[in-house]
Parts: sequence; C-alpha cells; structure tokens
Amino acid sequence: MLLDLSEEHKEHLAFLPQVDSTVVAEFGRIAVEFLRRGSNPKIYEGAARKLSVSSDTVQHGVEGLTYLLTESSKLMISELDFQDSVFVLGFSEELNKLLLQLYLDNRKEIRTILSELAPDLPSYHSLEWRLDVQLASRSLRQQIKPSVTIKLHLNQNGDHNTRVLQTDPATLLHLVQQLEQALEEMKTNHCRRVVRNIK
Amino acid sequence: MELSEYVQKGFQMLADPGSFDSNAFTLLLRAAFQSLLDAQADEAVLDHPDLKHIDPVVLKHCHTAAATYILEAGKQRADKSTLSTYLEDCKFDRERIELFCAEYQNNKNSLESLLGSIGRSLPHITDVSWRLEYQIKTNQLHKMYRPAYLVTLNVENTDSRSHPEISFSCSMEQLQDLVGKLKDASKSLERATQL
Repeated sequence: MLLDLSEEHKEHLAFLPQVDSTVVAEFGRIAVEFLRRGSNPKIYEGAARKLSVSSDTVQHGVEGLTYLLTESSKLMISELDFQDSVFVLGFSEELNKLLLQLYLDNRKEIRTILSELAPDLPSYHSLEWRLDVQLASRSLRQQIKPSVTIKLHLNQNGDHNTRVLQTDPATLLHLVQQLEQALEEMKTNHCRRVVRNIK
Repeated sequence: MELSEYVQKGFQMLADPGSFDSNAFTLLLRAAFQSLLDAQADEAVLDHPDLKHIDPVVLKHCHTAAATYILEAGKQRADKSTLSTYLEDCKFDRERIELFCAEYQNNKNSLESLLGSIGRSLPHITDVSWRLEYQIKTNQLHKMYRPAYLVTLNVENTDSRSHPEISFSCSMEQLQDLVGKLKDASKSLERATQL
C-alpha cells in the first residue's frame, strides 16, 4: 500500500533535500519529540536562524516529516512500500535511506502514541481486596455476616480512578467462575482461528 | 432492653382478658407481625370483624406497642426467657406468654432477615458480564490485531433504587491478574470459614 502524498505535503517536504542529512536527522528527532510532548514553536525559530530560512519553512518541513512518519506508522506499511512512496519525491538515495531508517526506528513508539488517541473506556489497572465480617449494626446485633471489600483501580485518559465496592461470598465465587469462562474463550478453536486468519 | 412507658401501658392493656379476649389477643399479635414483615400490609391489617368491638385508640396503642417491642426484641436477639420476663412484668398470664413466644419463634427468621437488611453499606456487586473482542483498527491506528475484554460489573446501591454499572476494558493479562486476585480472596474466605 502506497502513501498518498498531497501537493502541499510534497511542497513542505521539498525543503529537506536543501539541508544537510544531519539536519534532516535532527528534524526527525524533533518530530518524534513533538509527538511525545507537543510542539514547541521556539525550536522552529532557533533552527530557522541557524539555517537562514524563515521559521515557517522549518515548521512545514518538520510537520511534513511528522505527517509522513505518522501516516506510515498508522498504516504499518512495509519497507518496500515506504521506499516506493518516498521515491516519488525525487530525493537522493542517501536521503531516502535516512527517511526509511527514521520510519523503522520510530514506528513502534509512534504506534503506541497513536493508540492512546482511540476512544477511551476506563481500563483496568489493579485490584485490592479485604475480607470483612459484620458483627452488628444499628438495627441488628450479634451478626456474623462475611463480605469482601474490593478497591478497583481504573485508568481513563491518564486519570487514575478508584471505586470501592463490596460483595458477598456467593457472588464472589460466581464472579470468579464467570471471568474464568471469559479467559477460557480465548483458547477455543473459534477464537484461535480468528486470531490466526485476520492479520 | 429499654422500652418506654407507652409500650408497657400497651402491653398491660393487651394482658387484660377484659379488654382483649383470647381470640382478639391472637389476632392483634398476628397483625403486629404482619405489619412489620409483610411488604403489602397496610392499615387494613387491624380491620378484622372480631376486633371491631375494641376502642380503636386502644387497638392502635396496643398494636404499636407490640410492634415496637417485637422490633426491639429482634434487634437484641432476645431469647425466650428475656421475652417471658418482660411479659410477666406486664401481667401476661402463662397462656398468653406461650402464645407470644410461639408466634415470635415462627417469625424470628424473617424478622432478623429484615433487620439485617437495613443499613448503609458500600455499593454491592451483584453480577458480572463480559465481552471478548478482537480489535482490528481505529481511525488513528490500523492493523492492530489484539484481543480485548470489556467487563461490566452490575452494582446495587443500598437504597436499591440506583443500579449504576461499572464498565472497563482490559487485556488478557490484566483479566488474568483480576481473576487471580479474586481467587486469592475466595481462597482466603474458605480458609477463614474453616477455622
């Protein structure tokens, strides 16, 4: 699968052959750093001064490179497809190799960052439990009522959330049984076949 | 057990065969238990033809006294001798004491169950449902290919009116962690009950 690069995109990337390969490598590093932490316009100004070009040009170059890397990572395109996609830009072989290396080196991390953009449900973090026995209450004395208190730790959008819940012994056994069945499902032939064949 | 003068007066009236004959006594006693334990019971519980001849004010007083006493006895887990002592002090004859104790014994379990269910507690998990999915792609990330679970815990609040759900996603490893911890808890529970 080839990348579809727009005219505007190609224009932005046209800046790259005009600079040293070390500069391109540096732009690559900046691009990934911006993906990790967010962009920082001051960096563009510094680089623009050093290279004697406008900061807009630098910005477009970095953004073009970022888009190239994220689209390739998102689609998980093969080495060959990446090389063919970049070929249409008419860059030197050295630059093409550099870009390919940038892609391969950073692909995994970029995919991890992209996965955090998905619609987010609270996800499981961990669980703590405690056994309690209720001995009395305002309305009834001399009780022996066992219960399990559970603190469920969840993550959502980077926030840590805890829910404190309770259950009785019978329900606890039921929960364990149901969730064990859920785990067993992954081992069935049906699921194995799906996992094997959808790639 | 500390009971008010109001309750004591009510019982003294109940003890009197002149105010309540045997039949009326039994009916009122049953009505008291019914009011407490039957979810559908209402004021009509005292509308029995054999109670019509009794002054309604007296009837209400005795009914309330009996109900109050029954609740207090249930709360304190009173045994037969405690009940007998109090009823003797209220001038109940032997027959009425036996009747009361027998009726109390019949209803003891329901009473304790009712009292035990009153009170505040943490949200209570009643059930769990799960869904296994195979994630293929999102608009930000293609070719994902990983299984994921969506687990929903059904939770009941003490007021029984709200039923919030807690849903969360987890990977297979995370679900194994969750199940492992729940199994630890249930094994601990088993060990504790064998002590």
